[in-house]
Amino acid sequence: MAWNNVRRHNGAKRLGAKLLVSAGVLAAAGLVASPIIGQATAEPVAAPLAVNTAAVASVAAPLDASVSTAERKKMLLQYCTACHNDKAKTANMSVLPLNPDNLGADNATWEKILRRLSLGEMPPKGMKRPPKEQLGDFVHWLEHSLDKRIAANPDPGRATVRRLNRTEYANAVRDLLAFDVDMSKDLPVDDTGYGFDNIADILTVSPTLMDRYINVAGKISRLATGQASRNPGTTDHKIEKDLFENAFGIASYNERASDLLPLDSRGGTAFKYYAPYDATYAIQVFLNSGTSTESEIDANNRYELRVPLKAGLRTIGVSFRRKMALNEELIPASTKGPRVPKATNVTLLPMDVQVDGARVKTLEVPSVALGPNVSQSFYLRDVMQVSVAGPYDIQGPGDTPSRRKIFTCRPASASSSAENACARQILGTLARQAYRRPVSSADINPLMKIYAEARKGSDFEHGISASVQAILVSPGFLFMTESDPRGSRPGAIHRITDLELATRLSLFLWSSIPDEELLAVAEKRKLSDPAVLKQQVSRMLADTRSKALTDNFAGQWLYLRRLEFQKPDRRAYPDFDVRLRSAMKTETEMFFAGVVRENRSVLDFLGADYTYLNQRLAEHYGIKGVNGTTFRKVQLEPALHRGGLMGQASVLTVTSYNNRTSVVLRGKWILENILAAPPPPPPPDIPALNEARNGKVMTVREQMEMHRKHPVCASCHTKMDPFGFSLENYDATGAWRSADAGKLLDVSATLPDGTNFDGPKGLRDVLMSRKDQFVEAFTERLMTYALARGVEAYDMPAVRLVRNAARDDGYRMHTVVMGIVQSVPFSMRRTPEK
Amino acid sequence: MIITRKTMDRRTLLRGTGAALALPMMEAMLPRSVKAAETAAAARKRLHVIYTPNGMMMENWTPAQAGENYTLSPILKPLEAHREKFMVVSNLDHAQAEALGDGAGDHGRCCGSYLTGAHVKKTEGADLASGVSMDQLVAQKYGEVTQIPSLELGLEQPSLAGSCDTGYSCAYTNTLSWSTPSTPLPVTTNPRAVFERLFGDGDSLDAASRLAQLRRQASILDFVADDAKRLSAGMSASDKRKLDEYMTSVRDIEKRIQKAEAAGGAAGSVTSFARPAGIPDDFQEHARMMIDLQVLSAQSDLTRVTTLMLAREVSGRSYPEIGVPDAHHPLSHHGNDPEKVAKLTKINTLHMEQIAYYIQRMSETKDGEASLLDNTLLLAGASLADPNSHSHRNLPTIVAGGLVKGNRHLVAAKDTPMTNLMLSMMDMLDVRVDSLGDSTGRLSGFASVA
Repeated sequence: MAWNNVRRHNGAKRLGAKLLVSAGVLAAAGLVASPIIGQATAEPVAAPLAVNTAAVASVAAPLDASVSTAERKKMLLQYCTACHNDKAKTANMSVLPLNPDNLGADNATWEKILRRLSLGEMPPKGMKRPPKEQLGDFVHWLEHSLDKRIAANPDPGRATVRRLNRTEYANAVRDLLAFDVDMSKDLPVDDTGYGFDNIADILTVSPTLMDRYINVAGKISRLATGQASRNPGTTDHKIEKDLFENAFGIASYNERASDLLPLDSRGGTAFKYYAPYDATYAIQVFLNSGTSTESEIDANNRYELRVPLKAGLRTIGVSFRRKMALNEELIPASTKGPRVPKATNVTLLPMDVQVDGARVKTLEVPSVALGPNVSQSFYLRDVMQVSVAGPYDIQGPGDTPSRRKIFTCRPASASSSAENACARQILGTLARQAYRRPVSSADINPLMKIYAEARKGSDFEHGISASVQAILVSPGFLFMTESDPRGSRPGAIHRITDLELATRLSLFLWSSIPDEELLAVAEKRKLSDPAVLKQQVSRMLADTRSKALTDNFAGQWLYLRRLEFQKPDRRAYPDFDVRLRSAMKTETEMFFAGVVRENRSVLDFLGADYTYLNQRLAEHYGIKGVNGTTFRKVQLEPALHRGGLMGQASVLTVTSYNNRTSVVLRGKWILENILAAPPPPPPPDIPALNEARNGKVMTVREQMEMHRKHPVCASCHTKMDPFGFSLENYDATGAWRSADAGKLLDVSATLPDGTNFDGPKGLRDVLMSRKDQFVEAFTERLMTYALARGVEAYDMPAVRLVRNAARDDGYRMHTVVMGIVQSVPFSMRRTPEK
Repeated sequence: MIITRKTMDRRTLLRGTGAALALPMMEAMLPRSVKAAETAAAARKRLHVIYTPNGMMMENWTPAQAGENYTLSPILKPLEAHREKFMVVSNLDHAQAEALGDGAGDHGRCCGSYLTGAHVKKTEGADLASGVSMDQLVAQKYGEVTQIPSLELGLEQPSLAGSCDTGYSCAYTNTLSWSTPSTPLPVTTNPRAVFERLFGDGDSLDAASRLAQLRRQASILDFVADDAKRLSAGMSASDKRKLDEYMTSVRDIEKRIQKAEAAGGAAGSVTSFARPAGIPDDFQEHARMMIDLQVLSAQSDLTRVTTLMLAREVSGRSYPEIGVPDAHHPLSHHGNDPEKVAKLTKINTLHMEQIAYYIQRMSETKDGEASLLDNTLLLAGASLADPNSHSHRNLPTIVAGGLVKGNRHLVAAKDTPMTNLMLSMMDMLDVRVDSLGDSTGRLSGFASVA
């Protein structure tokens, strides 16, 4: 295989599994900002940044001194000019003007060449290739030289002011005010670039957005301080259900609906509700009644219960009991048969209402709803919606975590001076955490002004509430800004301050603001100490807030966020329903989070021998012995055809269309996200796939083979399709199959370089043989997310350095994270042109 | 620094005394009697735009005959009852949406071109560039008298993961509106958020309590403006630009508060309208809710310019409720397969049913003596014609409203820029603009008197 020929070997001895050691190598290579550089020094010092070439060389095998750069240029001319000359400029590239003695002049082009050669894509099939050894030497030399060049001239790239995106905003509010209500859905969706929604350049501010943030900040500050509206309102919690196309009613399930409900329960729902006051609330439960759409809530099937709730975040649950014998009168969903069962068979079912896990009341409801026009006759009795109305009979604002976090003091007396002193303390504490830096009276005085104005019309707590709203929309909170050392000239580079590093770090690992410990360490300027940094990164990854990496990084890297909008055709995939969809998502989330939490090898993403399943998903996979709705780690045998991301239904579903698999989407996904080698965009006027030929229905493969005879199509599809074909054993919902359109599947595939492989296992082997490629691609994706900007050609040496450090440490997740955190682009900044 | 000291002084006075007494004379703060005359229904014109994604099955769209009393095509059938109220225009092009050397990415490009006539810059990152869109040119004028210059609405959330169209930032596919060539105005998809933008989230919907809420915001805006000024000191030009967006937005809201104060509740009160809960699952339900909000914004005269995207470009939405379980975008590359053509036609027709609902609602809602539709121009259509070939020529276009002569199919000269129609529409709206994007003049035959 060509690719193997161009791999160079790691000449350095294994450095052990210690993060710190790997980090040390990074530092020695001059590619991580060394702590020697003072934080606020007027001028960045050039000397400590100078490359330690010996260190770079120690990571890789030595270069073959007998080959001159002239000979290397000769190779390029000999094998590449047929297409990449000044005239043809295939792929917009000519090798003629390239000068191997001055890589900096065409850095981006050289990086492109390195990537295509490393992937074994060039020269393409049918063209003459250089001998293995020569190609291997060239790739080795190029990578080494590019890395050496950038080590001598570190380039942290451009950094711009960045607005918190809606997820980061909601998390920051949660951590600042101990207010655990996800407000992100109330805020405008952020645009994405480079595959992520945290890209600084893309996060704009429009009047509509600002209006929304002010509005939401108002809601948050009132709820968190206990000053919400005293007028009763209603909050609806709709349960996502499957709607059948023929409108037979809403599906229900004979299983436990949530881990927050009793073990022996069936159906219903559990959800979080924020009670604004210690007061009485009405819990209204709407049951299915045979109406065909979720919007048709039927008042005749509403059951209400009044309960006292303590202010704060409550868990409301409603469920039936699973031990109940099913009603045999129920008719399975079909167009045949009577729609209205006999009224004599209606019994009473106990329906339990719970608050914070404890049953508060059992209501009795008819087992079947009978109506004049419609009747709930196809499914078990179940809940469609729960509404909470209130507050009634308000007792007071209560003792909530938010009020405890905000009101760190109480005015010693009713005098205005006592109130002011306390207000100053409260606002100073909040502003420091919100702005992620020590605050002065210049920060607090304007907040006090708002406090005073609002206090005038009402009371102390309202005054605080108004100034909390102001903090939540202030630029110091909403934007991540970084400053340059006084007097530094434009273009100069320097280390960011410890406080700036703390914010970059918390946005990266938590999608939130620093907590007290991180902030305190940064204030003492200790965070840039590698040992302290390592300790903080480990702590942050172990903290539950690191779930943000799963939700936001993995959610976008793996397209998991699209799953919610994926609606496979129920006729083609009758097994697909919302329970399965949510199980798919949970599997991949737990899998990714497990790799982070347990500091496992990132190669697990390609071929782990374990995964996380519940009964629903296990049955979908044809795996026996997993019972119940709760997820657990399951060991996988090869015969089960699973293991790694490419065997997970979530990934397989989001890379399919609603009614069929897509060889192209799956192939493209692997090229982009697993190998970082995106195919060029498709040309316009694409000939369509014909599903039938001469009246015969063709398999997808037959259609694609037809398609690939077209030379324009072939150029890219020979790269994408092989990966997609090997996954054809999984249908559009990720279930295993051996036939498509009645024909046995052919899952053999051939890569452009001639590598043959077969099915998912073959794919796994191919990818595992390209470990470095994958880890580089993964690092590039994670670095894009960490830097909140696109990874450019000048960043690639930093990516490779992280990859090398990871390789020396069993490709462990934390080593990748630590490598990124210590990289030049993450820890340094270039003073912008004024 | 954008916010002038003067502005803030004026508002401080405003908050202190509450009345119009201490205010300097300015147009938006004229006594109500004068204002009422100025905003008489007759003078109150509006621009609405409804956009359909992924092109149109043109052979089922273009009417066979030109001129009056033409026969409606299958896709236009749902509009039959309203034929007097709209016209079909053929042969309008967006030549600037073509590649012009930029390669693939027609969806991203054409969405950015639709109301601007500009050839957008191919970029995923910082250097977004389109043109000022037609709706924003109108909003800049009409926004002087309304509390909100414009509303940008959509049904589909921006892509939540991955890219939107090859090499083009999602910002291009997520909106039609550009207030400056580098400032896209993203759509709002949640009906609840649109409602609260219009009427606030206070306990009561009456104008007085909304006003009180806006006043509370005023002092916060003062604070953030000062804070931003402090922060931007010593910032680089590119960083300042980011903060400028923020400041402009703050100023926009300040203006609104001033107008609301001046109007004293004349605009913006609604008596009975249920607050929308959130985003409905069903396409049609969601579409109608957003159209209801367009109508409501016109009725309350909070804004006179709205755009609505029935989905974004490259939308992969499927429509199982009308027998189309296939994703829209891949289906749009139909390759003349009869089954795919039939399914696409179904989607296109469903979208036209929403336009019919819009016309229905706007024409049955009173605006003084007339109906809302009488004083409104609606532009509806797409920036792609046949999606199979990504053609931007002969775009599917209809113009509705009391300001145009309906019941006709206007066939423009071949290669007429779409922007010519937009210039003519802006003439009709009393917004005089000399050129827009690639415009070459006015669209002849458009302005026949109704």
